[in-house]
Amino acid sequence: MSMPTLKKRTMATLMWGRFRRNRAAVLGGAFVLFLILCAILAPVIAPYSYMQSNFLATYQSPSWQHWFGTDELGRDMLSRLLFSLRTASLIGFGAEAVELTLGLLVGAIAGYLGGAADTILMRVVDVVYGFPSLLFAIILVVMLGHSLFAILIAVAATSWVTMARIVRSQVIVVKQSDYIAAARGMGANWWQILRRYVLPNSLGPIAVTVTFGIPANMMVESALSLLGLGVQPPTPSWGALIANGEQAMFSFPYLLAFPAVTFAMTLLAFTFFGDGLRNVFDSKSMH
Amino acid sequence: MVRFLARRLAYMFIAFLCISLVTFMLMKMAPGSFFNANFQVNGVSAVAGSYGVSPQVMDALIKYYHLNDPWYVQWWYYVHGFLTWHMGTSFEYPGTRTVTIIDTAFPFSVRLALMAVATGVIIAIPIGVTAAMRENGWMDVGLMFFAMLGTSLPAYLVAVLLIVLFALWLHLLPVIGFTHPQDFILPVLSLALPMVGALSRYLRNSLIDSLHSEYVTGVIAKGGSLSRAVWRHALRNSLLPMITVVGPQLAGLMTGTVFIEEIFDLPGLGHYFVGAANVRDYPLIMDSALLYATVILAMNLLVDLTYGLFDPRIRRAGDLG
Repeated sequence: MSMPTLKKRTMATLMWGRFRRNRAAVLGGAFVLFLILCAILAPVIAPYSYMQSNFLATYQSPSWQHWFGTDELGRDMLSRLLFSLRTASLIGFGAEAVELTLGLLVGAIAGYLGGAADTILMRVVDVVYGFPSLLFAIILVVMLGHSLFAILIAVAATSWVTMARIVRSQVIVVKQSDYIAAARGMGANWWQILRRYVLPNSLGPIAVTVTFGIPANMMVESALSLLGLGVQPPTPSWGALIANGEQAMFSFPYLLAFPAVTFAMTLLAFTFFGDGLRNVFDSKSMH
Repeated sequence: MVRFLARRLAYMFIAFLCISLVTFMLMKMAPGSFFNANFQVNGVSAVAGSYGVSPQVMDALIKYYHLNDPWYVQWWYYVHGFLTWHMGTSFEYPGTRTVTIIDTAFPFSVRLALMAVATGVIIAIPIGVTAAMRENGWMDVGLMFFAMLGTSLPAYLVAVLLIVLFALWLHLLPVIGFTHPQDFILPVLSLALPMVGALSRYLRNSLIDSLHSEYVTGVIAKGGSLSRAVWRHALRNSLLPMITVVGPQLAGLMTGTVFIEEIFDLPGLGHYFVGAANVRDYPLIMDSALLYATVILAMNLLVDLTYGLFDPRIRRAGDLG
């Protein structure tokens, strides 16, 4: 007599099942994947060079040669959009990596050690939280210059505190549970506990924060370039494309409409994906 | 309560000093200075010469703006000037005190932000109520979908999308100018719509919580209709906590106006701030940054206070403690 085999139901398959049922989240996630691919492959798939001007083809309306038209220098808008996606992704993911590192370090140490370390670190976090972040980013970019790295720092400079706060509160919740006491009883030191037990258990909210953090960083990046403080031309960025499109919007509305709509779609894809993730990790609705 | 307030005010002041110090440091570390960029090249007053600015005048200017004093003296001049509302003179607009610029530009930005908040709340209430009364129906799902669209887009992008829709496509609303009332429809809407998303979502969830509570069952049991239960009973309990959502939004709006002013070419403080940062106009950078910081800090404090004020449970705990 053979034993009835139970289908293995790990946490991951459970979560995937929950995620798959949310159609908007799946669509958003698929679109995010598509965008990442486009950003990585931009130099390969872009039909033209993003900086090659062509004075015989300025202000071309969308056509089969130029799907999204051309700008005042005859540069292909589709190629420029692809490369501004690349810029936004570099800043979005790069700044998020910086935020994650800083936030994890500060939040985990403050939450786990508690006491004076917690008080001091959280005071710093409170002060940074009070900073007018966008204005601060503007001053930082003015100071550091308009290189990709400078913008990345300016974007990450104030937003890491959100991550630090979330990590800290997660760590505090996990720290008080019995399995931590058990681990401590068996002689694990604080670093082992942090790495083996605390961090894996606080993964959910952190993953959700990261998913919402990336589009937020993209917003700051393009907001800066909207003010003319972003990456240097001719490297395109959504904000600069929008500012540029605004100049001739009545004669050539597509120059404004395409960057605005594609940027909005990108942000929405991330939001839907993040929303789906949040539902998956929400332990209250797990059962 | 008094002790809590005193402690929060002390924290606020420390945060203010930190922000002013960091802003000052960054500003000073930024390459180039206003007089360098505009009057001097390679230490020689080459351009200054062409303007007819003699070294004596340069010295007098540097002295007037305290540019040769140690950094902490300079920093203190800015902070002291700001705190006593006796600020210095702008570089970019010579002879104009930054107070004068702030006095005209800041109320403009505040008015814009307040109009946006009012519009946001007025639009959010019917949306939240409608969604809550049809919990999980298609109306609820649809409205909350649009609310999510609103929350995930920044104000400046909403502005551009509104421009594309209403000005370029439908030719309904003006985009440039700030004299007629209709000029403000698009700027205010683009600040309000992202807020509507957050507010209506919050209101829907809190109304649904109320509608499932026992006092609403009581109203229904006594023969009240659903709309009576919502408008007369549940909404009253859900509206006040909404202030805690509006507060942070208002602080966010203050920086949101920077971009809206840029897109619609409105003469608000954000417009001057961006210009000042670009030409290293130290006094104007410092004073407007400090003003923004103060507003945001004050908003955060106000929100924390209203939490206690409008939630009887916290208020009672505060009374006991």
